[in-house]
Amino acid sequence: MNDRIALFAQAIRGPILLITVGTLFAMHQAGILPFYRTWPLILIVVGVIKLVERFYVPPSPPSPGGPRV
Amino acid sequence: MRMRGSITGPLVLILLGVVFLIHAISPDFRLGDLLARYWPYGLILWGVIALLEVCIRFFGSGPIPRNGVSGGAWALVVIVALLGSSAHEFQRPNNWLRQVGFDSGMEAFGEEHQYPIDAISKKVGEEPRIVIEDFRGNAKITGADGGQISLTGQKNIRSFDTNDADKANAQTAVEILTEGNTVTIRCHQDRHGARSSVTTNLDLSVPKGSSIRGTASHGNIDVSAINGSVEFTGGSNSDIKLEDVGGNVRLDTRGADSIHCTNVKGTIDLHGRGSDVDLEKIDGQVTVGGDYTGTVSLRALSKPVRMESMRTQLDARQIPGYIRLDRGSVEGKNLIGPVKLTAHSTDISLAGFSESLDLNVDRGDIELRPEHSAMGRIAVHTRSGDIELAVPSAARFALTANTDNGEIDNQFGDALKESSQGRGARLEGAVGSGPDVNLVTQHGSITLKKASGDAASGETKAAEIRWDK
Repeated sequence: MNDRIALFAQAIRGPILLITVGTLFAMHQAGILPFYRTWPLILIVVGVIKLVERFYVPPSPPSPGGPRV
Repeated sequence: MRMRGSITGPLVLILLGVVFLIHAISPDFRLGDLLARYWPYGLILWGVIALLEVCIRFFGSGPIPRNGVSGGAWALVVIVALLGSSAHEFQRPNNWLRQVGFDSGMEAFGEEHQYPIDAISKKVGEEPRIVIEDFRGNAKITGADGGQISLTGQKNIRSFDTNDADKANAQTAVEILTEGNTVTIRCHQDRHGARSSVTTNLDLSVPKGSSIRGTASHGNIDVSAINGSVEFTGGSNSDIKLEDVGGNVRLDTRGADSIHCTNVKGTIDLHGRGSDVDLEKIDGQVTVGGDYTGTVSLRALSKPVRMESMRTQLDARQIPGYIRLDRGSVEGKNLIGPVKLTAHSTDISLAGFSESLDLNVDRGDIELRPEHSAMGRIAVHTRSGDIELAVPSAARFALTANTDNGEIDNQFGDALKESSQGRGARLEGAVGSGPDVNLVTQHGSITLKKASGDAASGETKAAEIRWDK
């Protein structure tokens, strides 16, 4: 079951990012807030999604052949 | 099991097909316009659909895709964003491309052609709502009796040859559209190509009862004798002049050179950026909430005033006289308080104020002449600067004056006790029983003078002469 949640968390990051970007551009065009003042929000959203992912995705088992490249 | 592909791809395709189909069937349907304006909502819609799909698959225990939005889809998003934002930039009549690019070249090398605008007259009723759509040029709007709107004017078209100018002229016919009580004036400047630049100067006569809403991008606005409200947005490098307005005024400017409002019955609300602001004879409340780099002068305001800019904050209940806020200096006369003024690096000179006064300055000299013997509470604080207070000889007050680094000059005699503390000094005491007067400076001298009536009026005259100039 945990695997499914992990997959789910991975799958929703794209749509969420897309919605964020769309909202920021919409605000830019409506003249509410220009994009150059809101773009860091994208970084924040990506960061939050990554954090949530870490929460559910089990750490990958260490591969025998040394560090993965 | 082979996972089925996402439903978003097909949905996007269908939507695109429908949009292009409508465009193909009716050419009036302006696809560019639509895409330029609504593409961000397209992205949002796409995101929502993809999210819903993932959720449905998750809860319906179907197979979950690895990515909600695939790599190829992201490439498409980037292309849409680039196209959409450039289309949006280009749609505006006053975009940066036209400003720095072709238009300037046209202005320098093109030839100017003038065309008269065919006079239009329409019956619109006594109190229409007039909407002036975004255009480049000057507008003069005058209220007149009757229910008629009439338009004349002139177009200046710059282009390299007459053919282009003729074409641009034909494409940018001015239209008056009526829909119910709303009258829209459209200059169609977005229609002409980049081979010419069009400036439309409108001369409008409208019913006195009209209210006006407009967008200006370049050019001067002149409105007079209107009983309704007036609202303008935009306006860079323009002079905005409003005279004899019955309703409320709202201006949201992007770098207006000057804003003049005279004789307005309603409220005034200024926002945005600009240089000089001049408000005179305003019956309603005044709010100046933008950033104005020039001189802000307020005269004969009969309702509360609130000004809030990056440099200065001012609140006053009424300004029967005037107050003039410059970069580095504030000068005022005849104000009715409570007056509250906070400023940075500004010398302040106020005369003839009643009720309470609160002054807070970072750095600057302060000169106060209350002129009324019935003084209100006064609290002055400056970090660095001299304070001079000239009190009418009949006034009663309880004084506390303090300087951390400087001297105190007291002309009121023994009623006030002076003491020195280190490098500073302190003056305390009461002259009769009256309101608190509190003067504080960290670096600077404090002078407490007796103002004789003649001297005050003499100085008043001097101030008025300076003002008239």
